Amino acid sequence: MSDELMQKIKNFIMEEFLPGEDPDELTATTPLISGGILDSIATLKLVMFMEEQYGVSFEPHEVDKENLDDLASIVRLLRAKNPSAA
Amino acid sequence: MDSTLTAAQAAARATVADEPRGRIRFRDFAAIALQLGLVLLLLRQFQIESPAFRLLAMLAFAGFAVHAFLPLPARLPFFSALSLISIPLTLGLVNGVWLIGIGLVLIAACHLPYSFRVRGAILLGLGALLIGQRASLLPTPWSEAIWPILGAMFMFRLIAYFYDLRHDKAPVTLAQSTSYFFMLPNACFPLLPVIDFKTYRRSHYSTDAHRTYQKGVDWIVRGIVHLLLYRYIYYYGTLAPSEVTGPAEFLQYVVSNFLLYLRVSGLFHLVVGMVHLFGFDLPETHKRYLLAASFTDFWRRINIYWKDFMQKIFYFPAVFALKRLGTNKAIIIATLYVFLLTWLLHSYQWFWLRGSWLLAWHDMLFWAVLGLLVVANSLYEIKHGRNRSLGKAKKTWQSTALTIAKTYATFWFICILWSFWTSESITDWLALWPALKGPYTSEALFFPLLSLLVIVLGTVDLPGIGAVTAPANGLRPWLRDRAITVAWALGLVLISIEGVHTSVSAEFATLMHSMRSAHLSRLDNAKLERGYYEGLLSVDRFNSQLWEVYSKKPANWLDVENAGIRRFTGGFGQTDLIPSFVSTTKYGTVTINRWGMRDQDYPQERPAETLRAAVLGPSTVMGWGVGDGMTFEALLEERLNREPVSKAFKHVELLNFGVPGYQPPTQLVSLDKALDFQPNAIIFVATGREIRRSASYLAEVVHKSLPIPYPELAAIVKQSGAVAGMDETEALKLLLPYGPEILRKVYGRVANTSAQRGIRAILLFLPQVREGSWQEETPETLRIASEVGLEVINLADVYAGHDVDTLRLAEWDDHPNELGHRLVADALYRRLQADPAILFGRAAGGAGN
Repeated sequence: MSDELMQKIKNFIMEEFLPGEDPDELTATTPLISGGILDSIATLKLVMFMEEQYGVSFEPHEVDKENLDDLASIVRLLRAKNPSAA
Repeated sequence: MDSTLTAAQAAARATVADEPRGRIRFRDFAAIALQLGLVLLLLRQFQIESPAFRLLAMLAFAGFAVHAFLPLPARLPFFSALSLISIPLTLGLVNGVWLIGIGLVLIAACHLPYSFRVRGAILLGLGALLIGQRASLLPTPWSEAIWPILGAMFMFRLIAYFYDLRHDKAPVTLAQSTSYFFMLPNACFPLLPVIDFKTYRRSHYSTDAHRTYQKGVDWIVRGIVHLLLYRYIYYYGTLAPSEVTGPAEFLQYVVSNFLLYLRVSGLFHLVVGMVHLFGFDLPETHKRYLLAASFTDFWRRINIYWKDFMQKIFYFPAVFALKRLGTNKAIIIATLYVFLLTWLLHSYQWFWLRGSWLLAWHDMLFWAVLGLLVVANSLYEIKHGRNRSLGKAKKTWQSTALTIAKTYATFWFICILWSFWTSESITDWLALWPALKGPYTSEALFFPLLSLLVIVLGTVDLPGIGAVTAPANGLRPWLRDRAITVAWALGLVLISIEGVHTSVSAEFATLMHSMRSAHLSRLDNAKLERGYYEGLLSVDRFNSQLWEVYSKKPANWLDVENAGIRRFTGGFGQTDLIPSFVSTTKYGTVTINRWGMRDQDYPQERPAETLRAAVLGPSTVMGWGVGDGMTFEALLEERLNREPVSKAFKHVELLNFGVPGYQPPTQLVSLDKALDFQPNAIIFVATGREIRRSASYLAEVVHKSLPIPYPELAAIVKQSGAVAGMDETEALKLLLPYGPEILRKVYGRVANTSAQRGIRAILLFLPQVREGSWQEETPETLRIASEVGLEVINLADVYAGHDVDTLRLAEWDDHPNELGHRLVADALYRRLQADPAILFGRAAGGAGN
């Protein structure tokens, strides 16, 4: 996982929600919502983090499994909102 | 809650199946088909749900066999067609066409070429129109039978659908829309999980077909297991509040009440499992909700589709709208908002199912308390986080023990809260608590130890049934999980075979016999009887199966009910019939004479050479649901005059003193009234469970502080310790042991009063027009009647050889119809013909003498 943007988001998730866990276990396709790592509160925290960090704004309907269920989807959405995000 | 997902599992999820999308090898298909055959056997052997459902299951399984081999683009239209066919098949052609027509109008309104707001306004207008019709404010050209199913299909899914139309840019096909709303098993289920439209669309063959089908079979079997557990609890575990007399019963009451939810989780597994057979890899509807370790965890595990629906449509939009207040404040307000809406939507759901709004205080309190608990839990999680794990959670003895302790505490708290929610009133619930002062016997340990055992077994790692491992995880776990599903199904089929269960023991055979049939529980039957006698049934809880029966009841069922045929008197009898009242019902005219009898007019003074018998009883005697002249009393009177059985009198008059809602003690009020009409005979009609109903009525009288004008009954009340104004459940607990004595005093008064006046007193026993346990008290009732000197005419077998459905008014109204009354009149006539002295006295002789 060399992508810098993905790494930053991964770091946030590891620090906030998975302290003490092995970072290698969290891959680009690890299910976050369906895997029970991101519940509603954690999802909102992640969204707030991305809004602050990358100057983007999310719509409520975007906060779902399709967009946020794994790191790859999250990065895809973020890039679509802010192509210069890194 | 520990979230565990290994990297291997995650990788497996992402594994692209060897087979092309939607394809299944014939060998795998055969394995699925065999399992579905077993499932069909299970459904038949245990009579799971209704015959209509079993028919739909056959349709679905046969449809699956065709569907699995169709070209992929043809599959969704095929499922849609199958779903549409299932509706007239279940509801009948006319009702089915109406339902589909209304549904298509609603779907079309979502796609009109107008702005979102305009379409929303049109949908609201259509909704208001339907609400007016559901509430019977506006006429409907269709049958009321379609409302619960129409409601189940559209009340929530239309919201989810419209929301996704606005935000999801992927074009919607007709097959997607129609299959989503008219989804195959929905036609016979008024309760269905709120499947999200976007998830529904995206999940169609989103993963390996074989795995999706197998998951469907696993969930169907799991659903059946839930339903059988539910059935056991429903039949054998539930208690009435009045039966909660000690700590053991209290614990049984609260646990059983909560476990009745197994019906919902069972049905949801069944429904969603069935949808999997058509390629939809939908998420779980419930996730081991008995093992929730906190209130937020409980909310996330129970009815997950509802939580997701509320989160998507209301919670996230609310948080986003409020986030300028700060994340924590936004989350608190949005969570409370979601629970407030859950309460309101529960009432909204009730409206579509039953046609009336359910707004009870304890309902609101339940959701308020649960909402506050979830908020508190959420704040704790925001501050301290919660355990999550990427791989297998690292468990120590300490962490396992802590999880077990938290789960145990959550389980019991939820049980208590659930008992509050499902009680009929707050006072009913409060009346349970004094039972905890009772003796703490070893029986009181049963439920605490059983629940602990279940939680311990669930918390430590054991393979669960139907945990659908991917084949990619290895062949052995895959085969093991399939073996577990098949073992459950085979085992259940095996013990359902008569030769097998009778060879175990007589008790087991009796249990299996009961478990193999779907019927109302002892308590629901008692409630149905209460509705039957009093017309005051409160069926406003989902944990009784009665609401399903009553959901079919038209709002204006028997116009006479709403027209106010009775008036309040304020005395011991509370009500009587309004004199000179006339009403036209769909069953004919109901006329009350000037004396307050549902009968023709009679002079108060008995005419010469006339046998005059006063017939006392409840609504069966009064003739609820049949027109004037069609009650068994009127039919018998007419025949006795037309074809006399005795020469002792020239005329026969049977005076109908039946009053709806009258119980054995209240019939004493009718007796007092009847004596003014100088009868030669009294016919006191009993209709089952006389002992319990006598005690219940006195408990009601005590609760309402009504005067008791019969000293012998007042003495029993005093002896029992019941005092005026006491809670009714408490009073019933005290009076129930005196039930036989109360009935003896009632019958004794009838016998003595009659004897003193030279009146022949007869107890006429009539059966109820329903299956169930109403006859439990009959032998004792008849014995008491004989012992106090009443002549007994027992017509317990008057309906023998007839299908109950042909004799009663409706499934929700067990009063005899015209045929039922005619059978009673004929049987009574034959009985009097054989022994006229019983009514006409020793000098009666035969008509031919």
